[in-house]
Amino acid sequence: MTKIKCMVVVLFLIFIAGTAESKVYLDVYGKTYKKITIGVPSFQSDRPDRLRMDMSDLLNQDLDMSGFFIVAPNSLLDRELSDEGIEKKDIKFTNWRSIGVELLCKARFILANGEIALEAYLYDTLDGSLLLAKRYRSSPEEWRKLVHRLADDILLAVTGEKGIMSSRVVFVSGSKRNKDVYIAGIDGQGIRQITNFQNIMVSPSISPDGRFLAYTSYKEGKPNLFIMDLETGKDIHSDREEGMKLGTAWLGKSTLGYAKTSGNHSTIYTIDAASRQKKAIFTKEGILTSPSFSPDGTKMVFVSDMFGSPQVFIKDLSSGDAKRLTYSGNYNTSPSFSPKGDLIAFVAKINGSFEICTMNMDGSNQRVLTSGGINDSPQFSPCGRYILYSSKKSDHYNVYIMLYNGENKRMLKLTNKDEEQPRFVP
Amino acid sequence: MKYLALLLAVLMLVCYGCASKPAQPAQKSMTAEEQARLAQEEALKRKEREGRISEEDLAKTRADRERLEREKGLQEKKTALPASDIYFEYDSYSVQPEDLPKIKEVSEWLKINNAVRIVVEGHCDERGTVEYNLALGQKRAEVVKNHLTKFGVDEKRIRIISFGKEIPVDPGHTEDAWSKNRRVHFSIDQKG
Repeated sequence: MTKIKCMVVVLFLIFIAGTAESKVYLDVYGKTYKKITIGVPSFQSDRPDRLRMDMSDLLNQDLDMSGFFIVAPNSLLDRELSDEGIEKKDIKFTNWRSIGVELLCKARFILANGEIALEAYLYDTLDGSLLLAKRYRSSPEEWRKLVHRLADDILLAVTGEKGIMSSRVVFVSGSKRNKDVYIAGIDGQGIRQITNFQNIMVSPSISPDGRFLAYTSYKEGKPNLFIMDLETGKDIHSDREEGMKLGTAWLGKSTLGYAKTSGNHSTIYTIDAASRQKKAIFTKEGILTSPSFSPDGTKMVFVSDMFGSPQVFIKDLSSGDAKRLTYSGNYNTSPSFSPKGDLIAFVAKINGSFEICTMNMDGSNQRVLTSGGINDSPQFSPCGRYILYSSKKSDHYNVYIMLYNGENKRMLKLTNKDEEQPRFVP
Repeated sequence: MKYLALLLAVLMLVCYGCASKPAQPAQKSMTAEEQARLAQEEALKRKEREGRISEEDLAKTRADRERLEREKGLQEKKTALPASDIYFEYDSYSVQPEDLPKIKEVSEWLKINNAVRIVVEGHCDERGTVEYNLALGQKRAEVVKNHLTKFGVDEKRIRIISFGKEIPVDPGHTEDAWSKNRRVHFSIDQKG
């Protein structure tokens, strides 16, 4: 127990030391870190309505999804604990400690002048020290966003890096031959349909500057690749050449990389969405697909079948040297760089299933993170701590999120149809 | 049925017309007297035949109908593209030697129907990633196209498209279903 307290304190110190040290948390505690128990009693307000409970419930849900906390169940909180005030002087920390709560988040809000004003505090129950004190405002309809902001700030206070609960995901949803691109909040709220082609749709991704959507659609009867300006909804570029063009990945601000397979060869291209300058960066016999670029733009991982089965390779873009990374098994595909540049996620066929795995940049330290089914399209969160992926266990594909080490898998509740190829919206 | 009868009637008329034409030059060289005599004889013969003409007609119509139906069947066989798909091993894009005759059959058909263009579709089973399967389907279609061109089909008449694992013929999750889904399918290019 004291060990955990120490850890919290250490984490707190790391937080104080600044975000530059944030990586240390995961590196130091890595696979052996222990989740912190957090208590979130119902928010307080002069209004007796359901919103108080709805907000604290959503915060609990967010903290659970973050993977760093055990959320103290409401049944554990007796009247004395829940009726207590929110300021330090009103809180009996020993009572919270006695039920195992290590961190305590208390908040109260008022509804006035057509907006919600919330004040929130995060305490360490060991010594009653304050880890976070912040005010939030939003329109009453956007209370969910407000809670997500608080959750992300709690993550920042405890782990040194913001959470992802305010993030949005872009994905393909629909049925056979009738799929389109959607964007939704990670909590499944605010779903927006971006395209309406009712056809086969593959590999959507949004440029780092948030302006462009790249996708491959069969809307013209064959797989063509497009770049759409999200402001106008119009395609600003298309590749209608013969062949299969797909596997979009962005590099820098607005440079798109993708692969084309046609004739005996495959080629990986980059095209700048602003200048429309297109460059062939790699051509090889057979299949080349699924390019992904390192965050500094110097390296590219991709899939090639040059040795007879799909394997993951890494290429230094300045020297041109390519190196094979995967040797185990005969099916390793869909590589994706961590934005931190330390890990590569990929899909490997293991005992007839398709599993999400990670490995170091040199191919070492391969870890299997899922078990069973067909898992596809792993992608790291911008902070590098989470992996988003699609998974098919029975008849449907759903979008899941997990920690980079495979823990804390949670299904996102988005649509009721097949959901594939999820990515974070930058 | 009504149309068939009408068609027959028209056909018979046409046949009759064709048959009578070559006789005309000979008739022209005859004298008017001879012609009159022949016409008289014809009229008499016709009268004699009238008793059994309906019976003959019926038999002839029946025979004609049967012949037409036979021809129509043959024609249908000619316009239908050979229906067999080409099947592949898991994660492979090599055509099995026993499937080469199937591709040959398609090439033969294309030589007969030399105005038709076709689409060669590459498909995969559900096992694998979306993107790799789309590339794999492309390779499967490419390889079959290469065989078709080796058999003498002009490559301009072949359009290829990959559907990856997007359109399975069998939605099951068994080896039997998967083996049916790993295929190259031929269809007539409607776009011409």
